[in-house]
Amino acid sequence: MMRDATRTGVVLTDIRKSFGSLEVIHGIDLKITEGSFVVFVGPSGCGKSTLLRMIAGLEEVTDGEIEIKGRAVTDLDPSDRGIAMVFQSYALYPHMSVRDNLAFGLKMARTPEAEIEARVRAASAILKIDPLLDRRPGQLSGGQRQRVAIGRAIVRKPDVFLFDEPLSNLDAELRVSMRIEIARLHRELGNTMIYVTHDQTEAMTLADVIVVLRDGRIEQTGSPREVYENPANVFVAGFIGSPRMNLLAARWAGDGSVQVGAVRVPVSPEIGKPSGDKITLGIRPEHLLVSSAGEGMLQAKVDFSEYLGGTQFLYCQTDDGQSIIAEHRSPVPVDAGDTVHFSWDSAQLRLFDSAGIRIHGSQR
Amino acid sequence: MTPVKTTSAKQRRARIAARSNGAYHATGIAVSLFFLAPFVIAFLASFRHGAEAGLPPLPPWPTNGFSLDAYRLLDGFGAGIWQHMLNSLLVSLATVVLTVIVSLLAGYGFSRYRFPLKNMLFVLIIATLMIPFQSILTPLFIILAKLGLNNSLLGLTLVYVTLQLPFSVFMMRNAFDAVPKEIEEAARIDGARDLGLLVRVLLPLVLPGVATVAIFAFLNAWNEFLAALILLSSNEKYTLPVLMMAVRAGRLGAVNWGAVQAGVAVMTIPCLIVFLLLQRYYMRGLMAGAVK
Repeated sequence: MMRDATRTGVVLTDIRKSFGSLEVIHGIDLKITEGSFVVFVGPSGCGKSTLLRMIAGLEEVTDGEIEIKGRAVTDLDPSDRGIAMVFQSYALYPHMSVRDNLAFGLKMARTPEAEIEARVRAASAILKIDPLLDRRPGQLSGGQRQRVAIGRAIVRKPDVFLFDEPLSNLDAELRVSMRIEIARLHRELGNTMIYVTHDQTEAMTLADVIVVLRDGRIEQTGSPREVYENPANVFVAGFIGSPRMNLLAARWAGDGSVQVGAVRVPVSPEIGKPSGDKITLGIRPEHLLVSSAGEGMLQAKVDFSEYLGGTQFLYCQTDDGQSIIAEHRSPVPVDAGDTVHFSWDSAQLRLFDSAGIRIHGSQR
Repeated sequence: MTPVKTTSAKQRRARIAARSNGAYHATGIAVSLFFLAPFVIAFLASFRHGAEAGLPPLPPWPTNGFSLDAYRLLDGFGAGIWQHMLNSLLVSLATVVLTVIVSLLAGYGFSRYRFPLKNMLFVLIIATLMIPFQSILTPLFIILAKLGLNNSLLGLTLVYVTLQLPFSVFMMRNAFDAVPKEIEEAARIDGARDLGLLVRVLLPLVLPGVATVAIFAFLNAWNEFLAALILLSSNEKYTLPVLMMAVRAGRLGAVNWGAVQAGVAVMTIPCLIVFLLLQRYYMRGLMAGAVK
């Protein structure tokens, strides 16, 4: 889809939220391009849902400004913001038929009857819920209810769709198909969508832009690839990716190499000098290659191994007691109790300083 | 051999099932007889003939054919049965309407809004349930007199609403607490506001609570005796329970059983109607399917 990067869908300026004296969102600045699919991820309690609810207007903004399509909406009612929201619990009106559920918002906005009918038809066609229009939510399955909830959002023709963990209540299989459905919907409708989840797969597969949040602050904003390959700090490195990135405590040796336990690991000379001696060395499980013993290699004992078909996860312990996970794709199996040596492409190493901030080489 | 055995086993099972089915229905019928007997006896006794109607109701059924003598007799008391019935209906229905409106709004407020001293206020309201009604009768009497509502059905209604509210507010707050917040939020995004939100989205969801409150308010107002006896002073304003006392006292000290039974029948019917009308909501949980 072609997108005009200069047009902003949603702009958050120094958004803060306090409950009593407790500040939970600490000044968030974010520009969302119109038509993009943005996913807020983070551990529970990071403020991602609160932030979404503030954009929706369901939660008061303590300080800061929200703009949607160039219009200041901070003090507007939820219904006047040009948004629609899909809730985790579906939040359908149980006493109304599916048709009335879809039409309710339009009726409240005094839309002409014919227009309502047309929009309900269109939305139910997109979501394939036409046969269900006369049923009540109580007579629908979880997946059908979620479709109706999405349909209720579509008929409003909003500028921005807000999804609050919409798939968490569905079973694994349904979740995958609804995920694809939502991606298809985004392609067809082309609206800005903001999606809150703690599920990494959803975040990685759906997002144009991932916003990683922790404790009410943005840790990193970027495309899924960027966030995965170039995490800005130790938190993002550890949070994005499953299994997580290996983060090994190391010391800066000074001569362009890093000391991990007894092993001296050469790193790219352009990496620059970190501020302190203590650093963290990060490497993704899939970049650790089981090799025959050699210089500068990490030696580890396999505690536990998981075979997933085509790939094998090795849970290991290094000589100095740090745990690492490796993804082993070779046809030669490795068993628990084996001692293995790992080599890697040094371009895949990520270094973080003592404060956990990524150290970038001069090549970037 | 085997097929025969199977058949007999099947028959045995069918026999056991039939027997337990029979026992189930027999018990059900016995229990319902227990519940229905008082109604049936009162109704039958109220249709006894002239002189027979004045005697103690043993046996309770008419032996000389059906007649409406007892009802005619009942109509002779006070300002006529229709007037008293109307008084009772007015007071009870007004109590229901006012109680439902006030407790709906209060319950919503206590369930959804944050305001200072909320919990204390709520406990205070509930705590008034523990005050014996008799102890505030005199102050109530004086207040109504000052308001000029003495000996008026409106005054009596206000007293009933006051007495009914603590329980009703509690009931309605619980009903609103059971409605998921997301439904309300979805409605706000859909553009429903304030009263529209309350009436179009939330009211249907708390209907079982409203029905319960309405049933209790109606029955309590309909049956209340003490406040009506003390606060009403003129004959034509009496509600049915007060009239019934006059009827029971009879004339010249003799109890007129026929009139009493007729009064009981008259008093029972509206209660039955109200309960049968509302029991559907009273029993039903509408929330199924709202969330997960």
